[in-house]
Amino acid sequence: NFHSGLVKDISLLLNDSNYLNVTIHVGENENAEEFKAHSIILCARSDYFKCAFSNEWVTMNNNMITFNKPNIAPKIFEMILKYIYAGELDLTNQPGENILELLVASDELVIEELFEHLQDYL
Amino acid sequence: MSSRKQPKGKIRPPKKPNSADAQFNDNWDRLAQAIREIHKKNASILSFEELYRNAYNMVLHKNGDKLYNGVREVITQHLEEVAVSQVVPAFPLSGASSSQTNPNGAGGANFLKVLKTVWEDHTTCMLMIRDILMYMDRVYAKTANVPLVYDLGLDLFRDTIVRSQNYPIQNHLLEVLLQQIKLERENEIIDRTNVKASIDMLLELTDASTKDTVYATDFENKFLETSSEYYRVEGQMLVGEYDAPEYMKKVDKRLNEEEQRVRHYLSQTTEPKIRNIVEEELISKHLKTVIEMENSGLIPMLRNEKMDDLGRMYKLFGRVVKGHDEMKSAISDYIRELGKAINETVTSNTTAEGGNAASGDKQTGATVAVRWVQEVLDLKDKFDKVQNLALSNDKAFQTSFNEAFEYFINKNSKSPEFISLFIDDNLKKGLKGKTEEEVDSVLDKTITLFRFIGEKDVFERYYKQHLAKRLLLGRSVSDDAERGMIGKLKVECGYQFTTKLEGMFNDMRISSDTMTDFKEYLDKSVLEKPKLDLSVTVLTSTFWPMNLSASPRCNLPPELTKACGTFQNFYLGRHSGRRLTWQSNMGTADIRGSFKARKHELNVSTYQMVILLMFNDKQDGESLSYEQIKGESDIPEADLKRNLQSLACAKYKILVKEPKGKEINPGDQFNFNNDFTAPLQRIKIQTVASKVESEGERKETREKVEEARKHQTEAAIVRIMKDRKTMEHNLLIAEVVKQLQSRFMPNPALIKKRIEALIEREYLERATGDRRVYNYLA
Repeated sequence: NFHSGLVKDISLLLNDSNYLNVTIHVGENENAEEFKAHSIILCARSDYFKCAFSNEWVTMNNNMITFNKPNIAPKIFEMILKYIYAGELDLTNQPGENILELLVASDELVIEELFEHLQDYL
Repeated sequence: MSSRKQPKGKIRPPKKPNSADAQFNDNWDRLAQAIREIHKKNASILSFEELYRNAYNMVLHKNGDKLYNGVREVITQHLEEVAVSQVVPAFPLSGASSSQTNPNGAGGANFLKVLKTVWEDHTTCMLMIRDILMYMDRVYAKTANVPLVYDLGLDLFRDTIVRSQNYPIQNHLLEVLLQQIKLERENEIIDRTNVKASIDMLLELTDASTKDTVYATDFENKFLETSSEYYRVEGQMLVGEYDAPEYMKKVDKRLNEEEQRVRHYLSQTTEPKIRNIVEEELISKHLKTVIEMENSGLIPMLRNEKMDDLGRMYKLFGRVVKGHDEMKSAISDYIRELGKAINETVTSNTTAEGGNAASGDKQTGATVAVRWVQEVLDLKDKFDKVQNLALSNDKAFQTSFNEAFEYFINKNSKSPEFISLFIDDNLKKGLKGKTEEEVDSVLDKTITLFRFIGEKDVFERYYKQHLAKRLLLGRSVSDDAERGMIGKLKVECGYQFTTKLEGMFNDMRISSDTMTDFKEYLDKSVLEKPKLDLSVTVLTSTFWPMNLSASPRCNLPPELTKACGTFQNFYLGRHSGRRLTWQSNMGTADIRGSFKARKHELNVSTYQMVILLMFNDKQDGESLSYEQIKGESDIPEADLKRNLQSLACAKYKILVKEPKGKEINPGDQFNFNNDFTAPLQRIKIQTVASKVESEGERKETREKVEEARKHQTEAAIVRIMKDRKTMEHNLLIAEVVKQLQSRFMPNPALIKKRIEALIEREYLERATGDRRVYNYLA
């Protein structure tokens, strides 16, 4: 059983600039940020992204998939990315408002595991 | 998100729903427009994220049902348009009423092609719609218990296109599909991909009420009905036009084609159904016709050993319930018929010369028997080959063939004798021109015929007689072959069957030892040596076929009588309490004869020796009459005639008979043939060879067999009753039959008679309470 090694290696990808092929513009106006990610990881972990990056819907810019997600705050999206890549979620020191926002975002993106966890947590 | 940020007051302002409605309408308009763009294949201008969020918000604000119904409406509307603008214009020109007027099916093929495109477009669009409505599927559809949007799309396609209420699309589709299949059955090339696309489409759609596929509810039955009709007509046509092998090839081809068709573009669930139809229409309905086809049916195939055709028939007919039964009974009837013919040639032969065993060619009797067995064996070989090469060694067929053989073999009441004679023939001259293996294989086959005999005890009696002659006359080719044969019989019938036969062999061996001892005894003793070499075989009377009570008379010459006396003294001195009876009818002698030309050594029977020695005292030309010979020798009349025949009427004429002729009659005169010449020095005078019994002998044998059966039946009854003590009549009869049937089939009347005889002799009694029950009396 080599799961722990697998998870560790995959989670390291989050900070690995190689193979990045997605640029996600998160947030609106002054509260906006750009995230880079790997489409294959996002698709594997989320049906939402699987649809969004499918041939029918994807938009490419300079060989990069570009995707806008204006209604989620960058700090919330960062937590989602962490969950997606590493299966980790650290709610300590998070204000309730953030946790609520995270709940709403995970519902929209139909990340059921995360959504249910947060519901229980609240 | 924005709605969450606006805290709601407890009191709802009247404007609120309006603004929410406006919000919804705005969102919905954009979404409906997007779906229309998807339908127009313009999705590239759309943003997944926005559309998804749009739908997500609608569901979040409890407008799932409105969204769902709206989507339904947009899709329905679109499909209506598709029906009008694409499907209806593609209807085959001739219309749904008659597909016949469109012989090449091009219109139909085009229609299927259009439908294929429409279907592919629909599914592609539905996948995209499903993508943007994922949240609706996950959250709304689940709780509202409505189909997921993709399935909704399938239902709408079914109701708006495939089963359209407004246009006869369904009729066209079904007609075109059936027409395409019909064209293909008639060897036209069709575009299977288009047909397959439509079939796959029907397979993906579900009928709401039956929960079965639309393929099953709308198409399959129609397909099967038309196929039934098609093959009903074709079956009648083929059966009239082709001979049996061609017919079967056509059927094979059809079965194969239908299987391929199902595999290529229909549903596997249809496979057994269409197979049944072809089997029913092309095989079941014409079974007898094909079997009985003149010059090409089953019997001609057998006659000409058409193994491929037979094999094809076996495989083909095995597909239907009655197929093999019909084949089996036809073949069995044929075997019986052939067997009957074999029996008839034999009976016509034996009756032609029968009744007068002494007349004509002495060999003929045995030849008839050998020929009969050989013909039966050839027939057996033929059907073994059929069984092997065409019938996959089917056990059921084997059983039915065996019954047929058993039937006609037992129809010939002489079969036990014939089979024994056949074995006799092989064991006597088997090795001539045949290898040991060949003889063995012939004997093995003979055993299979032996198995068919019902009256094995009759066979045993004949076998014993024939074996006795072979042993005593030294006519057996090989001891190993003899023992091999007995071994085979033992395997078939158990040791009881062969103990006596083995006892005969034992007597031969012991006798040979006894003769060695006798020679030593003579050498050592002071007795006068006999003037001839005496060879005695001591036979245990119960093992050998002889009749002690009617021991044959014969006046032996004095030298021989004296030698016999010497042996008798020697033997009885060693085995006191035994009784020796001389069986002069079973012996042979080597004597030397001086003829004008040269001397010859003659190997003759004891009787012949006695006859020939009488001529020693006679002058040249002096003759003896039949009556003189008879009186002096005291040889029984039948034997005397037979032996005189061998000496005077056969190949080597040692005696000359007056008047000439093949028959021996009272008043005949016999002379020693001084002019006799022969190329060989040593001559064997053929005693009358084993032959088919005359009617008189047969009757005698029959009586002996009946007598033996009485004993065996009584023995069986006593054995059973001793064990059970008390038994009901029918059960006892059944048990007796069971014990005896390996030897013969006892009839209940015989058993009943024996029971009565045993009651009379107080082995059994009837139970006092119940007359149907017997008690054993110890």
